[in-house]
Amino acid sequence: MSNAIMDPTPTDWNGQIMQKRIARRYAAERRFKAMGFVAVALSTLFLAFLLFTMMGQGLRGFQRTEIAVDFDFPALTSGATAASISGPNADAALNSMDVPGIVELAVSQQYGDLSEGLLTAGAAGNVRQMLVDNPSLVTAKQQLWLPADSRLDVAFKRSGEPEAEKTVAALAQKDALRTGFNWTFLTGADATDPSAVGIWAAFKGSLMTMAITLMLAFPIGVLAALYLEEYAAKNRLTDMIEVSINNLAAVPSIIFGLLGLAVFLTLFGMPRSSALVGGLTLALMTMPVIVIAGRNAVKSVPPSIREAALGIGASPVQVVFHHVLPLALPGILTGTIIGMARALGETAPLLMIGMRAFIPSAPQGFTDATTALPVQIYLWSDEVNQGFVEKTSAAIIVLLIFLLGMNALAIYLRNRFETRW
Amino acid sequence: MTGTALLFLVLGLGLIGWIAGRARAAVFVRNAKGGPRGTVNSLPFYHGWFVAIWAIVPALVFMFIWQSISPALVTNMVLSAPAAADLPQDGFARAAILSEARAIAQGFQTAAFQDASEKLVPLYKNALSYYKWIGVAATLLLLFAGGAFAFTRIKPDFRARSKVERIVMFGLLVASLIAILTTLGIFASLIFESWRFFSMVSPFEFLFGTEWNPKSTVTPGADNGYGAIPLFWGTIFIGAIIAMIVAIPLGLMSAIFLTQYASATVRKWMKPILEILAGLPTVVYGYFAALTVAPAVRDFAVMLGVSNAASDNALAAGIVMGVMIIPLVSSMSDDSIAAVPNAMRDGSLAMGATKSETIKQVLLPAALPGVVGGVLLAVSRAIGETMIVVMAAGYTANLTANPFATITTVTVQIVALLTGDQDFGSPHTLAAFALGLALFVTTFFLNYVALRVVKKYREAYE
Repeated sequence: MSNAIMDPTPTDWNGQIMQKRIARRYAAERRFKAMGFVAVALSTLFLAFLLFTMMGQGLRGFQRTEIAVDFDFPALTSGATAASISGPNADAALNSMDVPGIVELAVSQQYGDLSEGLLTAGAAGNVRQMLVDNPSLVTAKQQLWLPADSRLDVAFKRSGEPEAEKTVAALAQKDALRTGFNWTFLTGADATDPSAVGIWAAFKGSLMTMAITLMLAFPIGVLAALYLEEYAAKNRLTDMIEVSINNLAAVPSIIFGLLGLAVFLTLFGMPRSSALVGGLTLALMTMPVIVIAGRNAVKSVPPSIREAALGIGASPVQVVFHHVLPLALPGILTGTIIGMARALGETAPLLMIGMRAFIPSAPQGFTDATTALPVQIYLWSDEVNQGFVEKTSAAIIVLLIFLLGMNALAIYLRNRFETRW
Repeated sequence: MTGTALLFLVLGLGLIGWIAGRARAAVFVRNAKGGPRGTVNSLPFYHGWFVAIWAIVPALVFMFIWQSISPALVTNMVLSAPAAADLPQDGFARAAILSEARAIAQGFQTAAFQDASEKLVPLYKNALSYYKWIGVAATLLLLFAGGAFAFTRIKPDFRARSKVERIVMFGLLVASLIAILTTLGIFASLIFESWRFFSMVSPFEFLFGTEWNPKSTVTPGADNGYGAIPLFWGTIFIGAIIAMIVAIPLGLMSAIFLTQYASATVRKWMKPILEILAGLPTVVYGYFAALTVAPAVRDFAVMLGVSNAASDNALAAGIVMGVMIIPLVSSMSDDSIAAVPNAMRDGSLAMGATKSETIKQVLLPAALPGVVGGVLLAVSRAIGETMIVVMAAGYTANLTANPFATITTVTVQIVALLTGDQDFGSPHTLAAFALGLALFVTTFFLNYVALRVVKKYREAYE
């Protein structure tokens, strides 16, 4: 370098050395830019690959394989009539009819050696429901499509055990297989048999948990945000509150689960695995998010609004509740929805408070033992049975659709109501 | 009457109080029409609120206190009955019988597993309903007393607004105190349970022991398999090493590309897409890691000739965790690069440096504290992450640096220790709290340092 300064002759920019050097620097520039591009591309590809994998597997989870079974109802039921299995005594009449026995008999009559383990465990329940919905079925011969056993389901959709493959091939030859939409998956609860599982129970549990979370975290979060932004004096207490909130927003979620276990379950003796305890735990986790979003929203309301309201005689409480809060509400709501979306996907704290039990029915109240959608995904992912793979992915699709919906709502609210001052 | 029904009854009566108070004040306003201005101090609905608050709040506070003390009263009443005299003296067996009888009496459980509890069920039913009705009666009494007191105070010159506003301000303060209460609750419960744990297992073994194989009964002084070093190592290896090797280059380069090179349109589309990575639930990542990434990594390891590659290897969990962290690193880097004064960048470009030279030699060194702060936050996020490692990493503690081996982490072991039907006082359960305390302290420290670094750096350029 010092030579270059000393040397009186000007640099020959067009000389070979300089041209080479510039070319090298430009190549480094292009390499660097390409690295940046690759980084973005890799991240995006990973996301695309993840979503693609989930879609590919999950969409099959919404379908089920059905087998045609011929029912000769007059012979099988020894002359039940539409009238005898409808009306107030329908339940008793159907119970005495022994629907599971009838189904077994019909299958073995039609399929002989193949009949072992052909239908899913819930198939008799399906037949019963069909008879309840349409009692006149019982008066004639009928062909009903019933859900296949999970092994056959897997074998028909992809490839399964050789035994099941053979059965599927035999059935396909008789034209007795078809693919139908799996309503059970949207309306049912957890089960041991993957072809009989549904997500409604877990989804309802999630909704109830979210309801508790929203009822607690939203008012507390908004009030705390208003206090800190509008009224709090600069003192040690305020500092402590601020430090706590910033810290809580970064505490690992599993710690909140430990808190829920130690305080709500052990100290207060609240019911284990209930939506109430889950909601309380998630509310503590979501509240700091709402407070932080709420403070930003309140901060963005210009002081002129407050001064105008004060100027015409409003009290400080009236200023905030009549003027500042309504103007800040869209921002607060956006933050709340994003916080709730995070809480909806949260699993670890719920595991800590016992929401990992096998619960085969939807919860009826806030203190009933329940499970939640992400926990259900975790539980299914642990199952050995191959049939659960697509159900897990399908449940993930449902969860992602809901998260997408919530985020879309947040974006819509922000664009629609956000005021730029 | 259930708690929920009582709650709704209290709220309903409060509404009636609101209407009554408002109506009474409205009469004053009507009578004052034509009279001198300002004879009625507050608007009618403030009077309504005054009555409603006086009716509802004491009743609700009492309900809450009653909820927490009545179980003890019920147990006392059951124990004082003659039928409870022949209960075993042993604390655990006694508590088990009592809690079972209680569960049956409340209808949570249908059949008894122990004969002794069967006898106590009617006693429990009696005691429960006795104290429940006392609670209901006292709640309603308080509600009416409060409401009536407030109602009689309504007069034209009563300053209802300032009273109500004072209560509102108090409510705001209470709402903000909940954050402190939660932090204290976390601290207290972690410290209390950890202290119980360390009275059984020595802290020395926990912090410096290298063997993690927790026994459910502990003998003081002996080695009980509670050495947490393998867990700390596993957490650091997966969260702070493998995940960061993925997240730092990808996050940083993404931020640089999007802020310095990409056109406005690309940036507008790519930033939200990257943000999606941060919004996906961790259980989804965990499932993806366990189902797709882990087998791929194992096959790759076998191809390389690593024979003992596990299907629940550390590498898969670390890679997926790193991807999850990318948006965090990227947005923190983005912020700190944007905070570097433009004059520095323009100066460098004016001297003839290329864009990449400017970034590497001017922007990044200037933005380094912010980037480091972001990385610290990312590490804190990664070591506290639970579902990815629970689903994709293993449960066996291993003190190894082989990324293809099974390695367990603190969060995995917390989940493992707390599942299984353990009594709350067992060393397994308490060990989970000790691990939780270690995790809490570490993340707290990392967050504190990160925020300090970022803040200090921001001030440097302001």
